[in-house]
Amino acid sequence: MITQLRLELLKLVRSKGFYLSFAALSAFVLLMLWGFYSYAQQKTGGLANEQFKYTYESGSYFNGLTFTLYSLMFAFSLVIPIFVAMSAGGQIAGERRAGTLRMICVRPVARVSVVLSKFLVVAIHTYLLLAFFIGLNLLVGLLFVGWGNLELYPGPLNLVDTPGRILRDDALWRFFYASFSGAWALLVVAAIAMLLSVLCDNPVTAVAATLAVYLTLYIVGRIEFFVVLRPYFFTTVMDFWRVVLKPEVPWPDVYHYAATCGAYIFGLLLLSVLIFERKDITS
Amino acid sequence: MWLKFLLAAGFALSLVVALVLKPGEPRADTGNRRDLAGKIDRGQNGRRLRLMTWNIGNGELESETRAHATDLPAVAQVIMDNDADAVALQELTGEDQLQLLLTHLKNQYRGYACSRGGGDRVDAVLVKGRSGSLLKPDREEGLRMGALAEARASAMSDRSARFNDVPAGDHFAAAATFRLQKYRPEIVFVSAHADAFSAARRRNFTADVVDWARSQTKGELAFVAGDFNFEVSTRNKNNLFTDDGKHDSESYAYLLKYFRDLGRDAGETSINDRRIDYIFGPSETISLSRAEVLRGAAVGRMDHWPLLVEVAF
Repeated sequence: MITQLRLELLKLVRSKGFYLSFAALSAFVLLMLWGFYSYAQQKTGGLANEQFKYTYESGSYFNGLTFTLYSLMFAFSLVIPIFVAMSAGGQIAGERRAGTLRMICVRPVARVSVVLSKFLVVAIHTYLLLAFFIGLNLLVGLLFVGWGNLELYPGPLNLVDTPGRILRDDALWRFFYASFSGAWALLVVAAIAMLLSVLCDNPVTAVAATLAVYLTLYIVGRIEFFVVLRPYFFTTVMDFWRVVLKPEVPWPDVYHYAATCGAYIFGLLLLSVLIFERKDITS
Repeated sequence: MWLKFLLAAGFALSLVVALVLKPGEPRADTGNRRDLAGKIDRGQNGRRLRLMTWNIGNGELESETRAHATDLPAVAQVIMDNDADAVALQELTGEDQLQLLLTHLKNQYRGYACSRGGGDRVDAVLVKGRSGSLLKPDREEGLRMGALAEARASAMSDRSARFNDVPAGDHFAAAATFRLQKYRPEIVFVSAHADAFSAARRRNFTADVVDWARSQTKGELAFVAGDFNFEVSTRNKNNLFTDDGKHDSESYAYLLKYFRDLGRDAGETSINDRRIDYIFGPSETISLSRAEVLRGAAVGRMDHWPLLVEVAF
């Protein structure tokens, strides 16, 4: 298992996709910086006050921590899952496509070890992506926007029901927690992609199917007509990652939803292993 | 084999933990009543004030959406049954309808309808002002005082109430200033109705109402109530009822900068599971003892339920 894991890690660090994912996220951070900076300038430049007497979007509101929060919220939902799906969806189906899966399976290695080592590598990649993204945002935020406390208001980002504030040092810890809760939530997407990678012959099909399932449920979950179905979507459960960024963390909620994510991850992985063990590999 | 067992164990353990550790219920989904009497600390020996807000307009788009005169007896009955000290009403047709309502209230209340402005409907504010129940001692205190003492205390109460138009945005809100008892602080109570269609207009209206209420409170207790038509709850992933969620966020944040959302835990107040009717009160000087949405109270095609809060101060 350890050898298998080492081999998979080696494959990961030698793949172009690994570096491409970090490069793409860096580009996203730069785009967010430009957008955030110009928005903040517009809102604090006196134009807003001409129409309205009051705004909480003051100079202290726009700081590096707020920038990181906004950047992370948007990237987590729509950007990072793409790279996670690409990484996981290509694991088994990619080997099959390249003609190396048969060779791997004829070796005296249990198929469960093959699946799990590949999934562990995906998990490491996922955490590195998220940690890198958060770290880069904080660094860019510090250098180009400046530090301050994290001020939260009801409405934007849909995070709190009443205005709240997290002090700077505490907020940094919260982002550290978010790197774990976020990575754990993203592993649900990875587990789905892994299952589809076992089922599909083509990695593109596996990745596309994973993203189709994820985005469909994500969008449907935001339409009021399906409010009854919403609690049953894994995308709703995945949303737990961000509650660590509330002024008061509802820990029972975190444990509940993290465990639900765990059930998805372990359940899907078990299914993947059972199918892969019985699969006749002919290519 | 042991790896598969590990996966199965992880799956089972996760399921058990997820089932055992239930998440906290979202506030706005937890039913229509929050009786917080057990949590009162300061208010036990103080006075209680019962406030109500109700948009009595109708949701029937094809005909009259303002209050129907035929609904007024039922409205009056709800107000009297709940013994509200002051009531904020929205979407009345005008002064005539207010007078009709006061008649149904058996003249136990005095009321005021704000100027019409550019719209076709007005807000009104009612203040209980006839019987001795203007002064409402706590149960224990009432028993201790006895009927004679209570009557004497009633006679001491200052029944005068001042009414104002509150210029806000491009129309008006209605306000009443009154005392529950002589030597008690004055209470300022505003009945407001923000624009249903423009979040920017709601934001301007809210800022004006808040600023007016704050300018009146030199030692008085200010309450702002009404239909603000915004909803910023985390329940709403995608709020289809606003043209700009950011403006609504600003409006709510400005209100919470100076006031406390007293009906926050009472649940939705309007059809489509919306909580858009609010009663905001002082953050410090009162304690909330009850917040309830009276779900059975709507009659006809009304699309709002009354929100009732009781505070001790």
